[in-house]
Amino acid sequence: MIRPVKVVEHEKFPGIYVVEYEDGTKKLATVNLAPGVKVYDETLIQHGDKELRTWNPYRSKLAGAIHKGITINPIKPGVKVLYLGVASGTTPSHVSDIIGPKGVLFGVEFAPRVMREFIEKVAVHRENVVPLLADARFPTKYAHVVELVDVVYADIAQPFQAKYVADNADMFLKSGGYIMMAIKAMSIDVTATPSETYKREITHLEERGYKVKEVKHLEPYDEAHAFVVAQKP
Amino acid sequence: MQMNVYLHFTPLGPVLVNEEGQILASDMITQDKDPEKIARFMYELETGNVPERVLGFLASSLSKEYTLAVEDEEVARKISQSLKEVKVTVQPGSKVHRALREQQQAIVEKAFGISYSDYYRLVREATILLARWKVKEVAEKRDLYVAQAVNALDDVNKTINLFASRVREWYGLHFPELNDIVEDHEDYFKIVSKLGSRSNISLEKLKELGFKDDLAQKIVKAASNSMGAELTEFDLNAIRLLSDAGLQLYSIRRNLEKYIDEAMYDVAPNIRGLVGPTLGARLISLAGGLEKLARLPASTIQVLGAEKALFRALRFGARPPKHGVIFQHPYIHKSPKWQRGKIARALAGKLAIAARIDAFTGEYKADELREDLEKRIEEIKTLYAKPPAKQAKKEPAQKKFRGHGKRKGESK
Repeated sequence: MIRPVKVVEHEKFPGIYVVEYEDGTKKLATVNLAPGVKVYDETLIQHGDKELRTWNPYRSKLAGAIHKGITINPIKPGVKVLYLGVASGTTPSHVSDIIGPKGVLFGVEFAPRVMREFIEKVAVHRENVVPLLADARFPTKYAHVVELVDVVYADIAQPFQAKYVADNADMFLKSGGYIMMAIKAMSIDVTATPSETYKREITHLEERGYKVKEVKHLEPYDEAHAFVVAQKP
Repeated sequence: MQMNVYLHFTPLGPVLVNEEGQILASDMITQDKDPEKIARFMYELETGNVPERVLGFLASSLSKEYTLAVEDEEVARKISQSLKEVKVTVQPGSKVHRALREQQQAIVEKAFGISYSDYYRLVREATILLARWKVKEVAEKRDLYVAQAVNALDDVNKTINLFASRVREWYGLHFPELNDIVEDHEDYFKIVSKLGSRSNISLEKLKELGFKDDLAQKIVKAASNSMGAELTEFDLNAIRLLSDAGLQLYSIRRNLEKYIDEAMYDVAPNIRGLVGPTLGARLISLAGGLEKLARLPASTIQVLGAEKALFRALRFGARPPKHGVIFQHPYIHKSPKWQRGKIARALAGKLAIAARIDAFTGEYKADELREDLEKRIEEIKTLYAKPPAKQAKKEPAQKKFRGHGKRKGESK
């Protein structure tokens, strides 16, 4: 195995680390909030008194977006995040690492099957994670639990996703807070070209009063995916 | 003009506030900080059921000149149905509600006199509990589906064997040598269905169907020297009907296996993790459901599927069976005979634990269970590495056969 030679904090984003290996390759990593516990096939690296988990851009769209050079990342230590579509918890576990013990991640997922995995692998080990088995299309159903948050992160891949994301942001996002949304063109409309789909979803966010700040395509990490960052005025 | 009163739900109970966000009244649903009660309360809210307690609280703290603003439509409907005199409006994400959510900390401290860290810890515990309940609720209803699926799988396997032996005999009139060369039924069906007459069999065509080089060569050689009778297209078509059905059965079998695997992941992840989806489903089927399986003692699980042998033993004092369907697990059938009984006992013990976790709590513990089991098997393998010395055969206790049917003290 190649040994890491250097670990530095990411130059722009607090809570995120860059691990440099002997052969010059670099990998993103976060400090493991649940030491010893792996969520997927990431590697654990001991660094001083901290344990780092490598963060794979091919598995996680947020990592992909950082690799592709987004300049705004509101996910930082201490913030509250409403995460729509946690699935089995690959990206959420890293978000949980970054926001740390003072942050909170409200994790919404509709499919019972992956929720089970999310609970056992992520939620029980991480005190900043609140799991919600619910449908993100009906935010009033979990309005009694979710507090006002700094970030609404959405990876829900379905038609009209921008509408549902905006519905959630209307209820739960602080003013000045950010939406981060991964758009999977193929899940929304296979007949339209990806760029048409992105445009439609982005336009919808703008019509709802959110200011789109950045759009990044995620190739080569994900085919036909775009990553959008928008701000609530 | 009527004043608005806002109903803000928290996991600990309802809070009523005015336009300025001042708390007018609140009701804490659990004084003893019980996460289970909180989870139940949240479950009611999600399903649009406003608990009686909340309706009572609203009736006693609201006067007529107010309009009540809530966020969820179903909740609104339920309230106006029960409290006819109250006017209700639905305002999801209203300014006031948003402001309340922003100050959740202050609200819970003021309304319920509980510190935010205590509140947060309770809520998190309750949400995990609730999510587990709901996951289980979905899975619970499916155990009988999985049981049926595994029975269907057995039916399909039986039918495949039946059809295969018929097709082999039938097509064997034309090409008898193929029977010994191609052992796999599916391969045999493929040759009959896709190629048909042996004059049509060639190396390229066989390779296209995915046959390996040496096997394909053997088949071609046999085809050219075959002693079988000639076959007309008319006769071949009749054989093909059955062979096509055989191929389709294979595809059904694969789909069923996939379904069982995925469904078992939801229904009984620990059993699946311990012994695999098919055997796990078979055990559920034999027990008559997951919960029934969970209530069986390990000793019964050990002999599930060997009822005939078990009752023979109980009745006539024959030697009791060491294992039922769990014999299908490689841990047992790949071990030498004299170790099997011990391994079966250990495996059944772990299975009983796994079934109980799956039926009643739903965490994932299969990896630890399997580790423990493997340790024990290792122990058995070293302690009993050699077959036991032959003992003089003890005559089984003679009991007289008194006819079939139930007797005193015998269940089932």
